Order: sequence, then C-alpha cells, then structure tokens
Amino acid sequence: MNLKNQSSTIKSIILLSFSLILMSACSKQKTQITQAGITFCSEGSPASFNPQLDTSSTTADASSHQVYDRLLEFNTENGEIEPGLASSWLVSNDSLTYTFQLRKGVSFHDTSYFTPTRNFNADDVVFSIDRWRVNSHPYHDISGGSYPYFQSLGLKSTIKNVDRINGYRVEISLYKPDSSFLANLATDFSVILSAEYAINLLEKGSPSNLDVLPIGTGPYKFVSYRKDQFIRYQRHHDYFLNTTGPENLVFDITPKSSLRVAKLITGECDAVAFPSQNDLEIIREREDLTLLEKPGLNVGFWAFNTSKPPFDNPKVRRALALAIDKTSLLETVYLGQATRAKSLVPSASWAHQSNMQDIGYNPVIARKLLDEAGISSGFTMNIWAMPVQRAYNPNAMKMAQLMSTYLAEVGVTVNIVSYDWTRFRENLTAGMHDSVLIGWSADNGDPDNFYRPLLTCAAIPSGTNRARWCNPEYDDLIESALKTEDSNARRIFYHRANQIIFREIPLVPIAHAFQYQAVNNQIEGITINPFGGIRFDDVVRKQ
Amino acid sequence: MAQFNLYEEEFHPSPLMHIWLEFKRSHFALIGFAILLLFCAIAILAPLLAPYDPNIQNTNAILLPPAWEANGSIAHIFGTDTLGRDVFSRTLYGCQVTFGSSVLLVLIASTIGVALGTLAGMKKGIKSSVLNHLLDSLMAIPTLLVAIIIVAILGTGLWNSMWAIILVLIPQFVHQTRSFVREEMKKDYILLDKLDGASSPRIFWSSILPGMFELLAVQSTLALSVAIIDISALGFLNLGAQSPVVELGASLSQSLEVAYSAPWLVALPGFFIFLMVLSINIVGEGLRTALRNRLIH
Amino acid sequence: MNNLLLRYINLMVVTITILIIISFSLGYLFPGDTLTNISGIVPQSEEQRIALEAAFKLDRSIFVQFWYYLDNLVSGDWGVSFSSQVSLIDEISIAFPATLELITYALLISIFIGIPIGFIGGIWHHKPFDFGAVTFSVVSYSFPVFWLALIFITIFCLQLGYLPLSGRVNFLYDIPHNSGFILWDILVADSPNKKDAFADALRHLILPTASIALVTTAIFIRFTRRSIMDEMQKGYIDAAKSRGFTTKQIFFKHGLRNSLLPIIPLMALQISTLMTNAMVVETIFSWPGIGNWLIQAIYQRDYPAIRIGMLVVSIFVVTFTISIEFISRAFDPARDKFERGTV
Repeated sequence: MNLKNQSSTIKSIILLSFSLILMSACSKQKTQITQAGITFCSEGSPASFNPQLDTSSTTADASSHQVYDRLLEFNTENGEIEPGLASSWLVSNDSLTYTFQLRKGVSFHDTSYFTPTRNFNADDVVFSIDRWRVNSHPYHDISGGSYPYFQSLGLKSTIKNVDRINGYRVEISLYKPDSSFLANLATDFSVILSAEYAINLLEKGSPSNLDVLPIGTGPYKFVSYRKDQFIRYQRHHDYFLNTTGPENLVFDITPKSSLRVAKLITGECDAVAFPSQNDLEIIREREDLTLLEKPGLNVGFWAFNTSKPPFDNPKVRRALALAIDKTSLLETVYLGQATRAKSLVPSASWAHQSNMQDIGYNPVIARKLLDEAGISSGFTMNIWAMPVQRAYNPNAMKMAQLMSTYLAEVGVTVNIVSYDWTRFRENLTAGMHDSVLIGWSADNGDPDNFYRPLLTCAAIPSGTNRARWCNPEYDDLIESALKTEDSNARRIFYHRANQIIFREIPLVPIAHAFQYQAVNNQIEGITINPFGGIRFDDVVRKQ
Repeated sequence: MAQFNLYEEEFHPSPLMHIWLEFKRSHFALIGFAILLLFCAIAILAPLLAPYDPNIQNTNAILLPPAWEANGSIAHIFGTDTLGRDVFSRTLYGCQVTFGSSVLLVLIASTIGVALGTLAGMKKGIKSSVLNHLLDSLMAIPTLLVAIIIVAILGTGLWNSMWAIILVLIPQFVHQTRSFVREEMKKDYILLDKLDGASSPRIFWSSILPGMFELLAVQSTLALSVAIIDISALGFLNLGAQSPVVELGASLSQSLEVAYSAPWLVALPGFFIFLMVLSINIVGEGLRTALRNRLIH
Repeated sequence: MNNLLLRYINLMVVTITILIIISFSLGYLFPGDTLTNISGIVPQSEEQRIALEAAFKLDRSIFVQFWYYLDNLVSGDWGVSFSSQVSLIDEISIAFPATLELITYALLISIFIGIPIGFIGGIWHHKPFDFGAVTFSVVSYSFPVFWLALIFITIFCLQLGYLPLSGRVNFLYDIPHNSGFILWDILVADSPNKKDAFADALRHLILPTASIALVTTAIFIRFTRRSIMDEMQKGYIDAAKSRGFTTKQIFFKHGLRNSLLPIIPLMALQISTLMTNAMVVETIFSWPGIGNWLIQAIYQRDYPAIRIGMLVVSIFVVTFTISIEFISRAFDPARDKFERGTV
C-alpha cells in the first residue's frame, strides 16, 4: 500500500467514526431492546438476594417482590392480607394453629445455574421457615446465621412447629396467640425459597449460593449482579399469575440521589427510588415525569446508644433531645414534606396517639440537665449519619450537621460518622455508636411492627433496636398488646408504651415522611407500596 | 509565587527588572497577575473580608439565590447553601484554603526538591544516576493513586492530601534542579569559585542558587497550578479537606445534591478554581515568554 | 543497543520490585486488623483466625510472607475484595480495561487534534491562529476536570438531552465480557442488536473521553508548538532556506521528524495526568473503570482492593513510560539524555 492510499484510508476511517458519533448522538429514540426493558435506579447494593437475612429495604427491594413470592400478600391499596402462594388458610379457634392450602402448578425459575425438576410444594414452605427457625437446620448458619426481622419479632419462640400435612398443605402451630402472625408472613422478609435448589447446592458444596444466586417463584429470574453497578433480571415466563411486566428488568444502582434524578431526566432510568427532597419541585414541573407520593408508614429518629455511658442516663438523653429544634430539622432536611413525629407510629396507623406530648426545644433546660448529670461543656459525642437516603430521612448527613450546631450551643461537640451502608449497619449492630440518625419503614400495617423491632430487648442482638434499650415494663406492654385481637385494648397498651418512651427517651422521634417515587410518563403500573418493597410485576412501557 | 521573587531585586536588580519590563508588555499577563494578586489578598485577608462565619447555619435563609437573581438578597451576595451558610464567605474561605494550602505545599515541595536535586547534581556517579532514574519512573505514578494510599493509611484530611501532592511534586523539582546544577557545574565561573577554594555549600548558595530563581519561578507556577487542581480534585472526591474546613472542591461536591435547584452552588466554586488556575497559568506563560524574550533581546 | 535494552530492563525490574515491596508493606501499614487487610476476610471465630493466619503465612517470618505474596501475585491469586467478597483479579480484569479504553481514546483524540494545531501554531507563530491556539491551550489547561465534566453534563445531558450521563452502555444491553473494551466486545458479540448497542456505547463514550482529552490536548498543543518553534530557529533550517528551499519543503523534509521525535516521550508521560483525570471523570460518569473502583474501595476502606489496585495501576504506568522512553531512545540516538517536560 502506498502512502497516498494509506492516508486516504485513515481519512475515511476518521470520517466514518465522526459520522457514526454524529449519527449516534442524534438517535435518541428508543431501540428495540430498550423498548422491551425497564431500568429502575435503586439507591444501594443489596447485602444479599435473600431478604430473610436483612431488614434493609434495599435488600428487600432487590429480591423480595422480583425473585420471590410469599405465602400471603398485602393488598397494596388497603393493606389487607390476600392469598399469595397459599391459596387459602384456616385459623383454629384458639388462634394457635394455622393451616395453609398451597397453590398448585407454581414453577421455580429455570436459570443457567439451576434447573428445577418439580413445582413449588409444601417442602419449600417448611424449608423456608425452618431455615431461620431451627438452629440445627443445615442452612441455619449459612450466610451468617442471623435473621434480624424474625429475631426482632421473637418469632422463633412463637412458632412451635411447621408441619407438612401433604404436598400442598402446611400446618403451622404456635405456642401463644399472635395477632400479627399472618401479617408477618406477608412481609417482604417471609419469602419462599426452593428446597430442591438448597439440597442441590448442599450436594455441590456451595450452600451460600442460595442467597447469592437466588431461585424463587417470583415474576423475575435473577440474571446477574455487580456490586454498586447493576442487577439484571429476566421475565419469568411461567409465572403463576398473569402479569404484564417487561422482558428485561435492570436495577441501575445509583447511590447519589441527585444523580438518580439526573438519569431520570436523561431517560437512562425509567423510575427512581427516593428522589431527593430538593428535586421534587423539578420533577413536578417536568411534563415527562410523574411524582408519586403517599404518606409513608415510617418514622425517622435519633437513637441513643443506651448501653454506653453517659447515654444510659435518661437525663442526658432528655437534655440532648431538648437541645435540638425539630422544627428546623423538618424544614431544612425534609423541606416541609414530613409531619413532626411525637411517638413511633404515624397518623396513618390506627394506633397513632394524637394527644401525645412532644419534647420541645429548650437549650437552657438542656444545659441545666447536662450540668446536673455531670456533663461539662466540651463533652464530645458522635452522631452516626446513615449513608443512604430513606423516605424517613432523605439526608442524614445534613441533619447531623444541623444538629451539631444546635448541640454546640449547649456545649456538646459532635463528630459525624458515616460508612458505607453494609458496614454502617454491621458496626451499629456491634454497638459502636453513641447515637445514630436512622429510622424505620413499616413492613406491614400492624403497630407491633414499629414497637417490637425498634425497642424491645429481643431486638438488640438482631440489630433493629438501635438504641440498645431494654426495658421489661415496655416489653410486657408490647407482649400484652399482641395477645389480644381487640384493637381498642391494644391501643391502650401502645399509648402506655408511648409514655414510657417519652419518659425514658431511648430515641427522639423526628419525622413521619411522605414516600416518593419518580417515574417517566412512559411507564405505567408503578405504585408506591406502603407495605414494603417496590414491585414490577404489572409495569408496562407505553408505546 | 512569582511576585515574591520579584522583590529580591537588591541582589540582581537589572535582570529582574528586565523580566518585569518584558512581562509588562503583555496585557493578558498583567491581567492574570492582577487576578493572582487578588487571590493572594483573599488568601491573607479572608477572615476580614468575609461578612459571615463560613460555618454559621441560618435555617431561616436556606438556598437563597445570589444577589443578581430576581429574588436574591444583597445580604448574601452569592446566596446561601442548603444549610443556610453564606456562600460568599464560604467562597472566600475556600479560596484561602485551596490557594493557601497549594502555595504552602509548593513551597515545601520545592524546598525538599531543590535540596535533593542539588545533592544529586553536585555529586556524580552511579548512585545519583540510579536514584534519578528511579525517581523518574516513580514520578509517573498518578497523584490520585498516591493520595488514595496516603488517605488509606492516615485517613482523610487536608494535610494528608497535601502530603500526597507534595510527594508527587518533589521529583519534578529534583529533576529540574539536578539538570540545572549539573549544567552550571560544568561552567567556568564555578570552576573559578572552586579555584578560589569555595566549599560546595558556598558554591551552591552564592553562585548556583541565585541563577536558579528564574527556573524555580517557572517551575513553581507550573507546580502551583497542578497543586490547586489536585487539591480541589481530592476535596471533590471527599479524600481531602473535611468539614468544617471550607475547601472549594469539597464545597462543590457537597453542592451536587442540589445541582438543579441551586446551580450557582456548583458553578461558583468551580469558577473560582478555574480562575485561580487560569491566572497562574497566564502569569506562568507570561513569565516564560518574558524570560525567552530577555534572552533574545 | 543491547546495552541500552539491558539498562532499561534493569530499571524496570528495580522499579517494579520497589512497587511490589511497597504494596506488600501496605498490608501492614493500613489501620485495623492486618489479617483482614491482607485476606479481605473478617474471621468469625478464633479457630478461623488461626486457620487464616496459617493460610496467609502470618505466623511465619516476614520473608516467607513476602515470598508467599509474590507467589500469589504471579499465580493470579490476588485475594478477595473486602466489601464484595469477589475475587480481586476478576474485578480488576473487568475494571482495568474500561479505564484503558477511556484513556486510549482520549490519547488518540489529543494526538489527532493537539499535534496538528500545535504544528500550525508553531510554524506561523504570532499569527491569529497561533494566538487562538495558545489561548485555547492555556484556558483548557486551567479547567479542573471535575468541573468541566459537570459543565458537559449540564449542557449535553440535562439541557439538551443529547447524551447519557452514566456508564459504558445501557444496562439493558447484556454485552458478554470479552476483551473488556466495550466497542470491541460489542462487535464480536453474537447479538442481533449489535448496531444499536454500538451506537449506544459510542454515545456513552463521548463526554468522558472529551473531558479527559481536553487537558491533554492543551498540553500536546504546547509541546508541539514549542518544539516546532525551537526547531525552525535552528541553523540548518536557515542554511536550507538560503539554498532556496521553501518553508514547506524544509519543514516536511527535516523539521517534522526532528521536532516530533523528542516530544513523543513527553506525551507518553502524560499517561499519569490522563490516569488521574480518568479516575476523577470515572466517578462522575459512573464509568466502571479502575479509578472509580479504587475510589469506591477507599470510601469503603477495602484495603485488599486498594493494595492490589494500586500495584496494578502503578506497574502499568511505570512499564508504559519506561517502554516509551526506551523506544524513543532507541530510535533517536541523537539524544543522550532523556529530558523531562518543561511545558
């Protein structure tokens, strides 16, 4: 090839690539594959693909309603319990025995790593419950052996037995009546795993894959996952319900809320989790986007580590609570998109106490109480600010910064601490914090779902009791509330519990926030699920 | 750094004056120089100039737009941020930290670099050659990588990020100094000194160093612009200055969450970093042109 | 020539050895539990700790440990990431090519744009074009790369909506990992919608590449312009002129080669700037490269990842610069010394 030829080849290559770039830059319209798929921008990486192992909604979002099903489901509109994998159920008169009739012809996922040979049956239910219930179960200690949701509710000591009656009938017997038992079976965490897959993995010697490469009956099959990048799912064509979901579903993991909204604007995401409070106006104004909002069943709070002095002293906790101006936190962090929290449950719940007293803002009394408790000026404490956004606390870092100025006024110096989400929760469970800004979203509509996991003694080792506060009087009240079905009687128990919380202040409730989700107008069928994770079974893209 | 050297005139009045005369001929260089002087003034006087404490939070005035916008307030010229802090004051303090720490670290790096370079240049032999080559190869390691390692060992903070940049800048000074000293050592006037019985330190202090100022000035402007960009990049990545230290890169990254509702919070710190670096580069460019022209004329 | 080769190989071996020693010692310098920092595993029990210590030879002398480390490095057993528990060699073999791809394109753009502009500016210097070139170069050299990237995003992604702002390709395209260069992988992929994917990947590439390339282009313009100006002032050019050659003839016969050769190694040295800028830009554009990966690792204090990542990147950079240095010296015997950049 002579020189001239060569240079003309180079020229044509350059020309070609330029024209390609131009062409591609202009072709914004959706192509076939992007048309057939939906991208959801989620806020973090799941810790595993088994929600039994974690209470974080990030984990639940990524697997609970995509890969798995539960025996029972909540109606997303009214919170009533509906059939899931169990087509019907019977409760004995003494409320101690629950019999479930299971659905037939429900197939598990057929994936590159596992091919099921049988459909869903009673063995899978027994396996899924016994895994966390029975300490000697071969799978109990796989992946850490910690099942925080069930532990925090003390379900291990509630369930007496899980029996397979026949292939499609399961009987669960309890030691004591539990008015929230059915609701617990419908939460994101009570997923049904495949017993056949588990046995298969045990034979292969890689049992921990059960929680990493999941097999379920849900509307989507797991395809692949890269931490901090993406999760890919494919539609489960033999799903037992007639759903209209897309062929491909991708979770684009985008921890920064501003970036998620930016991607929604550029069309890289079809829906985003937890849009930042600052961006809500912009989303409302744009014609191609829709903002979904619903009052959330949640509470954001500031919990003190009561196992650590001087935070074991209620006086100190009260002083610190008095030093904070909640009103300005609500305005600055939630930009007014939340209601002030006085106790644990929001007004959407029947157990809400509207006449509850609130801790005001009074730095003078705060300083006085601190002096009485022997805490001199210059005392240093840390506030752990969670690194992810949640409806109940859209920006914990900012809140911590604000609080540190308030606390500085009463002579308390604050160090703000934050890690990545997984490490953050591990260290919290280990009790390394002085205080933490975190919160709780309900998994079901029952008030017990707030009172028990957040503050009972049993919830300390499971890590949902961030205050590490244990009060037998409180535990008794919560226990008694569960033994009765009468909601008026229960309400009285919960109000008495509120009084104890107000007296002891293991945590300072801050806000009940609205829940938001932003979606592209082309997408239909995404709703806010107040009782847990996001669902994509009936989501469609308009042509 | 250039302007400090300019006042050392009493030793060598005419060549420096010459540079200044050449430098003055370019309007751009003069404007750049003026802006640079302004940044120096800000760096020194920030506490006096700033109307507010940069960390004071005013929750009644959150995200106020800058004064030139319709609903801006003259009380906060650049508006306020998400915690109601005055952006103008934060920018001034940010300039102080970003610019000041960069100047400081260039001073440290040049001192160490010149010292090592002189040693390497005045000594001959295989040791100096090996050391030199090794230094050159290690010099190619990206700043950010060194910073990541230092942060991993010592934790985040302004000083730690400064050490990382110092470590990266030193080899450049060593190299320049070494080549310069080598060249000069071959020259006759040094031989004269030697014949007069001058010791090595004396040769360095009274003969080589004065001639090196020009080289150092040029090298320092280069290093300074790199240092500012690096220190703000580390701040941006949250590996550098931490709250309550106000640094421009860090302020910029903190403002990203409100990039839509308050774009000026992202635009302003970035613009000031840009202006700072631009003025230094213009001055550096002017200085080099002036030096070159002085040799020609 | 052989002597030269030997000297450079020697230099390379010494430098890499030093880098390995540094990375080895990092395991002991990082705060926290040394065992965890080295293995990436938090021992759950005392027995597991003892077993792990034995496995990582922590109970043996430091030399045995070093030997074991070397052995593992060579055999590709680089340990696991603390945060994801995935094998590090797998993660790096995905992340590193992504960065390489980015800097290769940026380097190519800088060369194809920077050198011609520098040329023209250098030959007709002090003319309007030259003035424009110098201004462009000084201004773009002053841009903090992260700010530039954000400006690009604001204009091209958010305002105009032309280009995507994150990642290498829409995640809905499932491109099998092959060479790690996304464009190549798409071309060899056995997929019906190759063309769409390719166009999509190109659109993702434009902004990150442009952000990185701008600064390097500015530097290349200056290098080339300076070098040409110096060359054209040399005596032999005057001599040729006096013999009646036109400027064009002189330039293409002599000036071009003579002025380009010395700046090639200077350009190669920009790999360090490119790498730093690529790392910053990757975090902004969520580009799944080694820079983004390392910065996530430092956020999560993933010490095993930092240790190996640092070693891989620095060995790459050092090998690259030493090789270019060697090649340029081998082809340009006139130079007896390698000079570092005065811009």
